[in-house]
Amino acid sequence: MTEFLIETQGLRKSFGKVEVLRGVDLAIPRGEVTGLLGTNGAGKSTLIRCLLGLLRPTGGTASLLGCTSWELADAEKSRLGYVAQEVQLFASFRVRDMVGYTAAFYSRWDANLVRELLERWELPESKSCGVLSAGERQKLGIVLALGHRPELLILDEPAASLDPQARRLFLESVLQLAADGERTILFSTHITSDIERAASHLAILQGGVVRLHSDLDGLKDRVKRLRITGGGGRLKAEDVPGVLKWSEQGEVVQVTTDRYSPDLPQRLHEQRGVEVLVEDLNLEDVFLAFH
Amino acid sequence: MGDFTTLFSVNPSSGVPIYRQLIEQVLGLIASGRLRAGDELPSVRQLGAVLSVNFMTISKAWARLEADGVVLHERGRGMVVQAVGGAGPTPQQLRQVRELMDQAVVRGVQCGLSRADLKAVFRVSVEECGL
Repeated sequence: MTEFLIETQGLRKSFGKVEVLRGVDLAIPRGEVTGLLGTNGAGKSTLIRCLLGLLRPTGGTASLLGCTSWELADAEKSRLGYVAQEVQLFASFRVRDMVGYTAAFYSRWDANLVRELLERWELPESKSCGVLSAGERQKLGIVLALGHRPELLILDEPAASLDPQARRLFLESVLQLAADGERTILFSTHITSDIERAASHLAILQGGVVRLHSDLDGLKDRVKRLRITGGGGRLKAEDVPGVLKWSEQGEVVQVTTDRYSPDLPQRLHEQRGVEVLVEDLNLEDVFLAFH
Repeated sequence: MGDFTTLFSVNPSSGVPIYRQLIEQVLGLIASGRLRAGDELPSVRQLGAVLSVNFMTISKAWARLEADGVVLHERGRGMVVQAVGGAGPTPQQLRQVRELMDQAVVRGVQCGLSRADLKAVFRVSVEECGL
């Protein structure tokens, strides 16, 4: 049986009258690196906070490492790493003290890894946390979350305040951690190219539900934009499976589908006498096609 | 033995899956003679770290190339480029074609096609291929 390190069923969360999560079903097995995409306000942070037991679901279930999120015990927490959107640090602590404080919570702490990361990321151990920039705070947050080499790592827009160089370092660190194929990682982001590089899977949160959860390569094989010409207007929307977007400009029909198969152009040609040009889509195009 | 890591680059914003970009690059490098029989592909970890790409993605590309007989995993060396160019199809590729053809023949027999019918169908598909 597949072991799901992250699992939600019909997860709902309302704030007052506003329902942000409307039945999220998501199951992420061990070893998957999943990028979580969604427009602003789609509920990414709410989902992550429910998963971590920081918010109590209004309905449905959320579990991490096989344990109900709201009841996570220390044993599960020690196998978990989390980087919040706003990293919480003690302003009066130096970087070194913050590291020591965090390390004390974990029985297994890789001090060498942390020292190496601090150096690579140019975070001086003697600097006071109170004067760190937004980017430096985020870097430190990530280092602190990686220190115990967690089995499950959850990051809420980790790259938001990082410059391109730091983002690349961040990706490298995540990839190193994921290298053994045993770690499970979920990160939300707006930077689709980071997902293309680092992730094996993509999940799109839309309107409070998971609209899509797929491996990246399969997704790119399935979602295509077709430019269809000829046929004298005989082509109907029903002819194309899985239409996401449909637009007509004079003779040209432009269709985005999420159920493309290599035999589709030939089939349409035979059935409707049309010529089909197939365009590959990158993740940004795919994301837009679903909205 | 040369280090071929620098020969590779990926464009994550392209619509082409990264593993397929890598496969194309290996095939291109072999066709152009930059990679020759006996050369070693960079290790999954090495290339993954340099390109900042999920290691599984590289692994998948190398595995596909191995399945197609382009490279062979040699103990202690990694993925080694096989003799290519004019070498004809590999036994593996031949086997794949055989399997596909077997399926077609079985289906034809189920439909009641005779030996002559099958041959006729085969001739037509070969001709339509432009061979």
